[in-house]
Amino acid sequence: MTLPYTHMLFLAILLFMMGAACAMTRKSLFMILIGVEVMLNAAGIAFVAAAMRWLDMNGQVMALFVMTAAAAEIAVALALIVCVQRRTLSTNADRFNLLKG
Amino acid sequence: MKPVLFLLISLPLLGALILALIGRFLSRRSVETIACTSVAAAFVLALTAFLLSGQKAHSLTLAQWFTAGSFQVDLELYYDPLAAVMALMVTFVSSIVHLYSVAYMRHESGYTRYFCFMNLFVFAMLVIVTAGNLVFLYLGWETVGLCSYALIGFWYEKPEAANAGTKAFVVTRLGDVAFGIAIALCWFSLGHLSVSGINDSAAGLSSQTAGIIGFFLLLAAIGKSAQLPLAVWLPDAMAGPTPVSALIHAATMVTAGVYLLMRFFPIIQGSPILMAVIACVGVITICFGAFSALVQKDIKRILAYSTISQVGYMFLAVGAGDLAGSLFHLIAHAFFKSLLFLAAGCIIQALHEEQDIFRMGGMRQKMPHLFWLFLAGTASLGAVPLTAGFFSKDRILLAVFLQPQTGFKVLWAIAALAAIITPLYAFRLFFIVFFGKSHAGAGQAPISPASIPNRMIWVLWPLAFFSVFAGFFNLSVNCAGNEWLVHYLAAVPGAAMELHASPKMESAMQMGSALITIIMVIAAWIFYGLRIQPSESGEAAFRNKLNALFLNGFYLDRLYRTWIITPYRTTAGFLWQKVDAGWVDAGLAQSARFFLDLAERLRLWTTGRISQYVSMMVAGFTLILCSLTVAWWVFQI
Amino acid sequence: MTLFNIIFYIAAAIVICATGLAITRQSTVHAVCYLVISFMGTAVIFYILGAPLLAALEVIIYAGGIMVLFLFVVMMVKDQQDPRDKPSRIKKWLPALILAGISAVMAGMLVFADPGNRLRPPAVTGTPQEFGRILFQEYWFPVEIASLLLLAALIGALYLGRRTGHPEDTP
Repeated sequence: MTLPYTHMLFLAILLFMMGAACAMTRKSLFMILIGVEVMLNAAGIAFVAAAMRWLDMNGQVMALFVMTAAAAEIAVALALIVCVQRRTLSTNADRFNLLKG
Repeated sequence: MKPVLFLLISLPLLGALILALIGRFLSRRSVETIACTSVAAAFVLALTAFLLSGQKAHSLTLAQWFTAGSFQVDLELYYDPLAAVMALMVTFVSSIVHLYSVAYMRHESGYTRYFCFMNLFVFAMLVIVTAGNLVFLYLGWETVGLCSYALIGFWYEKPEAANAGTKAFVVTRLGDVAFGIAIALCWFSLGHLSVSGINDSAAGLSSQTAGIIGFFLLLAAIGKSAQLPLAVWLPDAMAGPTPVSALIHAATMVTAGVYLLMRFFPIIQGSPILMAVIACVGVITICFGAFSALVQKDIKRILAYSTISQVGYMFLAVGAGDLAGSLFHLIAHAFFKSLLFLAAGCIIQALHEEQDIFRMGGMRQKMPHLFWLFLAGTASLGAVPLTAGFFSKDRILLAVFLQPQTGFKVLWAIAALAAIITPLYAFRLFFIVFFGKSHAGAGQAPISPASIPNRMIWVLWPLAFFSVFAGFFNLSVNCAGNEWLVHYLAAVPGAAMELHASPKMESAMQMGSALITIIMVIAAWIFYGLRIQPSESGEAAFRNKLNALFLNGFYLDRLYRTWIITPYRTTAGFLWQKVDAGWVDAGLAQSARFFLDLAERLRLWTTGRISQYVSMMVAGFTLILCSLTVAWWVFQI
Repeated sequence: MTLFNIIFYIAAAIVICATGLAITRQSTVHAVCYLVISFMGTAVIFYILGAPLLAALEVIIYAGGIMVLFLFVVMMVKDQQDPRDKPSRIKKWLPALILAGISAVMAGMLVFADPGNRLRPPAVTGTPQEFGRILFQEYWFPVEIASLLLLAALIGALYLGRRTGHPEDTP
């Protein structure tokens, strides 16, 4: 028999929180992006687990679209980092604080 | 009758309105003409109404004023013999004062304002006299207060004039508050506000209710008529122009209080205690005024204190139940006091605004016309035999004496004592001003009089005539007169009784007072005409203190200042600075500053660091999850 | 404890360990490499959970595309090291750990709330044929939108990455 649904969701939650911790803590722009990637991946796992639980293919389709959006987003984000690094020679997130109050 | 009465009160109002609206664009001549003709026409109309009224009371409603539920106030007029006599007196004296003012104010630039307020004043006084409704009367009452304020403070650039106007208004305001309370009480206890209604149903009131209503009416009268304890405004009100003093503070406004008591005499009659209180107030004021007038140096202040004293006589008469006697004295006083004020105005202007009598000696030679006029007024004031003042004062003393309670005998004695002082101060004034040499300060030459327009003098002759011969309007029976005034007032509710004194008592009192008056005139001549001064030092010190007491009006002003004005000011200052500015304003400022500080501190949160923003987002997410969990947990259990 | 379960738990352990290592590396390249391992493990999990096509796509797109792109840019861009911060490792990670920990616990409790969640779903597989059918028949419109999205991302990345000849730019 298969395993309880809660375990699959626990995995997703754990991964999501690890990604959030990474995004909160790390100062390098790349590491923040990695945290976002991990969160997206966790969401995909949750969708696929739900598709199995509810016997509905929509969950897997959704996971595919999440992957697509993640790809597009990463491309643009990396291009932004390149652009920013060209201007300021730094990829430290704390350096970009012009919006501080 | 209706158009006559309507025009009677509206012509002066019309004059005032015209002057108020377009008086600035008219020439001086036209302004004066409008003012004088409106008041003179009012006099003619008052005469017509008097002849037409036929000794009955007429009620007529001019218009409906306002309604609030079951409370309705109309502009009603009530014209009975009492109102007829008063209206005649008011318009007559006003016409003379207006003619006099034209000449007196010839150098003033604010003449439009002056005549406008004088006309408004005449209108308001006529409203008081003929009003048939308490609220309408209150309208006139307040308007005379307003005009008095405006006219006393006519020279508003002078601080003492402005302050005197304010003082008059504030002090009479205390009486007006009492009047408002009286109106409310009348409405609640009687259900009427019309004069005829109140007087007809006054008999149904219990003694306490009548006493309470009458007490508040008395307070109102005390304020307007400058009796103790509210007498302090009248001496300071002499800062206004002299014709104003003549009209307002001799003949009309100060008598409005007495008129109020006379008009509502049925209510006052209902409470014997109240009548006794009125009589006591009158007597105390008589003494206050007489003693204060005895030592004053300013000619107008002497006349002001004299007015206070004489109005006290009118109050005494009302307290003794003799309406006709009070009215008689009121009329006589109007004539001779306004005559005295106007004549004093002539002297003051002639001597270049000098008001100290000790600088005014020897006017007999310098202004002989004024001498006879002033003598007529002084004689009437001092109750020299056969003048109007003699008959009226005598009647009042007789009425007081005839009252059955013993208290009234005491009051009679005190009033008789003051009646001894009255000719003393009157003739003191007369002799110092008109005889002898001026006591100007050392080294100053006596002032030589400038010439004044003749008009100012010849308008005074009618007043002099009446102040001497008006006594014959009401000669008592045993002097072969017909007591015309008493009979005329027979229709007035609660009025006019014949004094049932035996002819012997009456003659005895008249002879006695005549004798005393002549003695006091001679005494005045000795003390003041010939300048014999008593000169012991010990007695002089006591006399100086007594002098100071009388000179300062028994220090009433200082008393009020210490006990009422200063605490009030301290409290107001405390409430303003500590409570309002300190707590309320500062509290608001503090709370505003608190929010500013809070915003300052919160601003530090926006550091611009991405990691912090992400943390905040996750924190919010955590919060939502926590609340969901707690909600689920609570509802599970 | 079936094979199904064993494979799932092993894969889950790999994923969690690899992710944990990835997010704590100082060097970005090391982090990316560990993340690749994590995505491989995720692909195994997808396969176990009955989505073979998604497993393949995960390897191809995520591990093979996105992470390689990551590596390209990381190596191209200078100055990748995390500055040595004064606060120690634990102090730096403490707020994140606390918040994430509380959230995880709360979410877990919420997951536990529904009794229906404790079911064991049957093991089924979504075949690629089925997947493709649904994708291109029911979800054809989102597919088109997704392609537009990718086009926009492509253009955006191209534009952002060009050399402008601006004096501020470093070569």
